[in-house]
Amino acid sequence: MIRFLIRRAVWIVITLWLVYTLSFFLMLAVPGGPMSGERAYPPEIEKMRKDRFHLNDPWPVQYWYYLSNACRGDFLSSQVLNDYEVSEIISQGFPISATLGVLAMSMALILGLSAGIIAALWRNSLLDVFFRSLATIGIAVPNFILAGLAIMIFVFQLKWFPAAGWGKPIDMVLPSLCLAAPFAAYISRLTRTGMLDVLGQDYIRTAYAKGLMPSTVVLKHAVRGALLPVVSYLGPAVAGILTGSLVIERIFFLPGLGTHFIEAVTQRDYTTSLGIVMVSTALVLVMNTLVDVSYQLLDPRIKLK
Amino acid sequence: MKFPLRYLLPLFFLVLSAIAFATIFQFSDLPPADFTFANGTEVKSVDPKMVTGAPEGRVIEALFEGLYQRLPSKEDPNVLVTTPGQATSYDLSEDKLTYTFHIREDAVWTNGEPVTAHDWVFSWQRFLHPQLPSEYAYQLWYVKNAEKFSLSKVDTGDRVEIELPDRAGPTNLPATDGNSEQHYPRGTILSGILKAEEKISVQVGDEMEEGSVFEVDVKPTKAGKIDWDAPGEIQKFVRLSETDAVRNAITKENPHVQPVNFLTIHFDEVGIKASDDHTLVVTLNNPTPYFLDLVAFYPMHPVNRTCIETYGYPGWTKPENIVSNGPFTLEFRRIRDRIRLRKNPKYWDAEQVKLNIIDVLAVQSDTTVLNMYMNGQIDWGITVPTPALPALLKRDAEKPADSLPDMRIAPMLTTYFYRVNTTKPPLDNPKVRRALNLAINKQEIVDYITKAGQIPATSYVPPGLAGYGGGHSGEFNPAEAQRLLAEAGYPGGKGLPKIQILYNTHEAHKDIASVVQQQLKKNLQIDVELRNLEWSVFLASSRNLEFDIARAGWIADYPDPNTFLDMFVTDGENNQTGWSNAEYDRLIHDSQSEADPVKRLEMLSQAEQILMDEMPILPIYYYVSLNIVRPYVKNFYPNIQDLHPLHILEIDEAEKQRIFKAEGLR
Repeated sequence: MIRFLIRRAVWIVITLWLVYTLSFFLMLAVPGGPMSGERAYPPEIEKMRKDRFHLNDPWPVQYWYYLSNACRGDFLSSQVLNDYEVSEIISQGFPISATLGVLAMSMALILGLSAGIIAALWRNSLLDVFFRSLATIGIAVPNFILAGLAIMIFVFQLKWFPAAGWGKPIDMVLPSLCLAAPFAAYISRLTRTGMLDVLGQDYIRTAYAKGLMPSTVVLKHAVRGALLPVVSYLGPAVAGILTGSLVIERIFFLPGLGTHFIEAVTQRDYTTSLGIVMVSTALVLVMNTLVDVSYQLLDPRIKLK
Repeated sequence: MKFPLRYLLPLFFLVLSAIAFATIFQFSDLPPADFTFANGTEVKSVDPKMVTGAPEGRVIEALFEGLYQRLPSKEDPNVLVTTPGQATSYDLSEDKLTYTFHIREDAVWTNGEPVTAHDWVFSWQRFLHPQLPSEYAYQLWYVKNAEKFSLSKVDTGDRVEIELPDRAGPTNLPATDGNSEQHYPRGTILSGILKAEEKISVQVGDEMEEGSVFEVDVKPTKAGKIDWDAPGEIQKFVRLSETDAVRNAITKENPHVQPVNFLTIHFDEVGIKASDDHTLVVTLNNPTPYFLDLVAFYPMHPVNRTCIETYGYPGWTKPENIVSNGPFTLEFRRIRDRIRLRKNPKYWDAEQVKLNIIDVLAVQSDTTVLNMYMNGQIDWGITVPTPALPALLKRDAEKPADSLPDMRIAPMLTTYFYRVNTTKPPLDNPKVRRALNLAINKQEIVDYITKAGQIPATSYVPPGLAGYGGGHSGEFNPAEAQRLLAEAGYPGGKGLPKIQILYNTHEAHKDIASVVQQQLKKNLQIDVELRNLEWSVFLASSRNLEFDIARAGWIADYPDPNTFLDMFVTDGENNQTGWSNAEYDRLIHDSQSEADPVKRLEMLSQAEQILMDEMPILPIYYYVSLNIVRPYVKNFYPNIQDLHPLHILEIDEAEKQRIFKAEGLR
């Protein structure tokens, strides 16, 4: 286990470096820069403003300057939002994205697991068909369309929620629901398949034969077995929620990392986009490691190497 | 009892959820704002010197106040007039070169210090300083010697100031790095007279690097005053901004040379002077009839010296540190969420400021703006999504005649046009360019694409500037266009290569380009192809003249034709067409020193006519502003510069209640 973690840590560092380098050069390769706007300025002023971020230096100098600072955890100041350091932008945006992500994840798990279990227990019933079709729709419909529909129904027809914004707890309901929907759908399908698989196993029959209550059999014995595919899906799901939140945050005007990232990239804010790419990459890598570790915790038969 | 590790996982999730909920509830005690508006993108800074955009302008105008301000006129609120701000009045000298501003006695900063003329001397020095000049620095280059100071240009015989690299402060870095602008001004300043500048070239690889060594007669300082007449001491200096190779070569030859951060013309030579605490004297190079509009422009607003010297940039812009002099103070900022402004009780005209709390939201998506507006979450949106426009206009039309509309559409000093690359055949022929212009039915574009009552453009400078005649490009006339094209040697479009229209990726630009494509095909049998590029890539292509025809837009900085016309002088940074015309250059240049305002506008009109005859640009339409404002917001008036001072706005509470009730909003 310890050796596994150490080896993982080394890989994470290498991956982070590769991602950093790749993003850095991709950004340099794209025309434009943080200073570009419709209006052009006298060349002297343009030069002095670019000097501020070393943008006139040859690429090895720039790369070294930015990488060496990044290694110290300093992503320097934002090249577009002049008043802020990248670390300030991330520390303001991250809690919002994390909150949205965790809420969406919890909703996805609660909705997905319960729908999946119910569908499996009453296989081929009307309820099962209903959940399955709902899940198919949930996977197929992109979240920005879902968000538009949700706003039309819940904001303008029912007037339950605000249209967008961040500040009150109620602001988080619609965005996290829209973000969670495709994942809930997928989890429900995974759970249903897992449950059906487990329910046919000998140990479940044994449990019933012992005379246990059906609810105890399902909740204590069956669900745990059916949970494994769901857990392995959590890693990709975290990555998916991270990318999904880019769109959702923009539609619902949430000042999270997704909003900052889209803006930073379109405004060519090199330092901020690099910073957010690194934080997101690190998050995905760490979450994947956690998922791998939790496999073993859930199923002692799995050994981590 | 052994705690099974596998319980960790659900526990982990529980803890995460708990943290998530805690985060959600921490903001819920925010008191609601009196007035909330969507400001477009997040402001790039609240430091007047660091920014150029309209969203930044709206925030900075609320936080700081300049010598003059632009407010709706009492006679016609749709017209903006310059009215006293921190200055009560000004005198203009006979030769129209010297402005003497009288600063208000009762104006104070939020830290209690009085606002004095010295604040402008400091602010404008900082604004122009070569360490990091404002992108708008050139707007102050009308002031004597300001351009020389900004660009560190010196001539032999000039009085110069020299900053030694001995800055105090948290990071004592040489000033070659703009980030080191911690404290301002900076190291020890020496003053003297430039005796000689010796240029030095050094071979580095295949390139020659050039630099200068300066010989200065450094004058002594007596009791804080420079004694220019006293005998000085000759010293040699080299700027730290020179390349290493140049500096090494210079040091080798001149062992006593001193490296310096900056060597510029002495700031005492720049035409910005405080003759006493409440008198600011500004001397210009040329009579500039719109100078009063410039001093009312937000980049020229003053900043507080104590605050900047204490915290440096960007520390001073933090809500807990910032000191301002405008009608509102900065309460807090959440990045890409909101800026909360609160009424400044120390503002000289605080009695007239009706709003207590204003929320400035950085909403990017137009659709989200409209959603929030319809849901009663914001009172003003600066634009609306075009597809929703017909429905919104219909909604206004159905209202009773005496109520204010939500959509406030008004002409603006902004032009949508196409740049033509005049360096590439066949577009290097003015006749071809004029043919293109005459073959485009612009009315069709504004009727079917933009749909908000934009005006088809027949000139570059939009109408609405008093006393200005302007040029004329001719009305839509396919027959004349065909004749011109034939005259240019392409009868019926034969022999004309395919022309490409370049635009940045945007639905409206694409639709307009498609209409132009169809019309040129129909009227001139010219094949046109469309090419879209992402914004930054598009800008780079425009600058490098990598296009045949490219979309563009220009917003007036100040209400004068010069803001449009001076960009098309030969090699102007914003020319970007390769076009050059000696007569045009002469007219623009001469108009800038013309003292008679009528004659000056006449010259500019002539210049614009040249532009319209030669057609390096094809004007398409004049923009309109598309503000959506709740009718209960009082004192919101459309105007050609689309400026809406926040401190004169007022909420009609009774009307608000009525409208919210009628629309079922909370």
